[in-house]
Amino acid sequence: MNVFSRGIRNAFRNSIRTFSIVLILGLIIGLSLAMLVARQAVSQKISSVESSVGNTVSISPAGVRGFSGGGNPLTATQIAPIQKLSHVTSVDESLSDRLTSSTTNLQSSIDAGSLGRRFAGNDGGQNIAQSGGFSGGNEGSATATFSPPVIVLGTTNPSDLSNTEGGGTFKLTSGKVFASTSTDNVAVIGSSLATKNNLQVGSTFTAYSTTITVLGIFDAGNTFSNSQLIMPLVTLQTLSGQAGDITSAVATVDSITNVDSVTTAIKNQLGSAADVTNAATQAQNTIAPLKNIQTISLYSLIGAVIAGAVIILLTMIMIVRERRREIGVIKAIGASNINIMVQFMTEAITLTFLGSIIGIGLGVVAGNPITKLLVTNSANSSAPTGAGRFGRAFGGITNSITSVHGTVGWSIILYGLGGALVIAILGSALASYFIAKVRPAEVMRAE
Amino acid sequence: MLQITNLKKVFKTAGDDVVAVNDVSLSVADGQFASIIGKSGSGKSTLLSLLGALDKPTSGHIIVGDKDITKMHDRALIQYRGRKIGFVFQSYNLVPNLTALENVMLPMEYAKLAKSERIKRATHLLDQVGLSADQHSRKPGKLSGGQQQRVAIARALANKPSLILADEPTGNLDSQTGTMIFKLLHELSRTENTTIVVVTHDLSISGKTDVTFTLRDGKLVKK
Ligand SMILES: Nc1ncnc2c1ncn2[C@@H]1O[C@H](COP(=O)(O)OP(=O)(O)O)[C@@H](O)[C@H]1O
Ligand SMILES: [Mg+2]
Repeated sequence: MNVFSRGIRNAFRNSIRTFSIVLILGLIIGLSLAMLVARQAVSQKISSVESSVGNTVSISPAGVRGFSGGGNPLTATQIAPIQKLSHVTSVDESLSDRLTSSTTNLQSSIDAGSLGRRFAGNDGGQNIAQSGGFSGGNEGSATATFSPPVIVLGTTNPSDLSNTEGGGTFKLTSGKVFASTSTDNVAVIGSSLATKNNLQVGSTFTAYSTTITVLGIFDAGNTFSNSQLIMPLVTLQTLSGQAGDITSAVATVDSITNVDSVTTAIKNQLGSAADVTNAATQAQNTIAPLKNIQTISLYSLIGAVIAGAVIILLTMIMIVRERRREIGVIKAIGASNINIMVQFMTEAITLTFLGSIIGIGLGVVAGNPITKLLVTNSANSSAPTGAGRFGRAFGGITNSITSVHGTVGWSIILYGLGGALVIAILGSALASYFIAKVRPAEVMRAE
Repeated sequence: MLQITNLKKVFKTAGDDVVAVNDVSLSVADGQFASIIGKSGSGKSTLLSLLGALDKPTSGHIIVGDKDITKMHDRALIQYRGRKIGFVFQSYNLVPNLTALENVMLPMEYAKLAKSERIKRATHLLDQVGLSADQHSRKPGKLSGGQQQRVAIARALANKPSLILADEPTGNLDSQTGTMIFKLLHELSRTENTTIVVVTHDLSISGKTDVTFTLRDGKLVKK
């Protein structure tokens, strides 16, 4: 029997009180752990979204995304000054075009399917109505033999697919890529397109009545992108008779914090000729609800710890008042204030420890559901407003933010126990003051 | 030797100040059995709590052995209370969730005695005060008033104190049990050669002690 075992034993002196206190503390600690789980999961998601967004500004002709919409292409002379803006480290330019059976001997690796035929019908109608779309050719005839066009991308940066319609991560599976300023009649082709047309590195095919050599084969991880071919920008501009035209450009900014100012500068530069967007701003909007959860969970955590400390505080004060006489007696028989405080603190720690066991149990069970609930509710309340390519991209982010997964790791359990310790010590601090104030002479007074 | 000179204790209350002990001087020789009698409110308990360093006097001196406890610091007073004094209270004041044995061991723990030594001595003391072996492991709630007071006396003797202070130790007991408890105290003062100061209003008890002091309104009454 020592001061600690007495403290532990005293924690069970009033079993009904012990049970209720432990239960309440358990709920509080469980709640704070769930909040901690949510906070950790959300913080992880925020940093992964932030790091995946990157520091680029996208420039496309006003009113055009990919092959949708209409308008005039941008020109190299318009884009050139952007390179000179401060904080812009590089500008990648690209031109998209569509090859059809009349302009190439390549066969699309995408089956038309029912969607393809419907798109072809729609596109045909459009193209007849508005001459001067990007795609010349005869895909207007929506016949049963329709085959989707092959998309060709002319670019100064062949290994970046992030700003194309198909997206994906460029991975060279064989051969090599061309230099950004190349004017050769070469192409890097998607793996699906290569397979469909039996092409290897060194093979040739015909496009725009010109023999093109396959320089490399890539895999972007999705069929749409893998059905494309990539050519040097200048080559495509020349062959397709669109010299100097650009349908999309991507300016890379030195730091994510300058993305907004560069976006504004480019807008000023190009005026109404171009749509200038950056992923960072929209990503910020998309993760805003996550940031809210971060804040809410932090406040809930602080609130829960305070509530726990207050409960232990009140309990300990109640216990000290109840045992005033006993405290006086053990002071009379030689106990020091410190000794008695240690005993009561042990009692408080025992109560919160039991509470934290229940709390950790609850946290393990409820952490992930609560995280999901918080994320789903707040993510739904702010649907992304972007359109076209970015719309899809941010739809993706929204999907991925709702897929936040909270797990209770060892760190959470340690936080739980640490928090319980803090609660117990804070909670018994005031009780210690009352212990010190008990006058041993009071034991002489009749009860 | 216990020597008190010009001891005074004033309680400051919202109304008048209460002079509970008023200029008391007395001495008790080592090994003597002394009793303090007086009406309720005459200051007996207050005097006893001053002797046991449970409270500090307003003025005056208390010399125990060769030390003036009114000049001691708080740390030294804790030691004094724990090792030199044994208390016995009217309402026993045992710790309710500890067994009889554990209650007796407690002062020895505060005096930093080894555990095996504590068990040995506590068992011996409980035997000495006449508690049967099966009662050693009982909690106070399962013992009679007389048995609880025996445990309290054993606890008071735990650290071989030079002074035992008992405040109406028989006050809650029937006269027969009270007499037995009193006899026990008397015997102990002989065998352990401890000075005992007992507060009582039972004149049949006070008549059997070595020396009796009478208090009236905080003042010592000369016989
Ligand atoms: N803590 C205190 N505060 C104020 N007055 C007190 C206090 N303790 C005792 N007294 C007063 O001092 C007087 C002596 O009390 P006490 O020593 O308990 O008497 P006795 O033990 O002889 O009955 C009483 O008038 C009592 O009201
Ligand atoms: Mg009294």
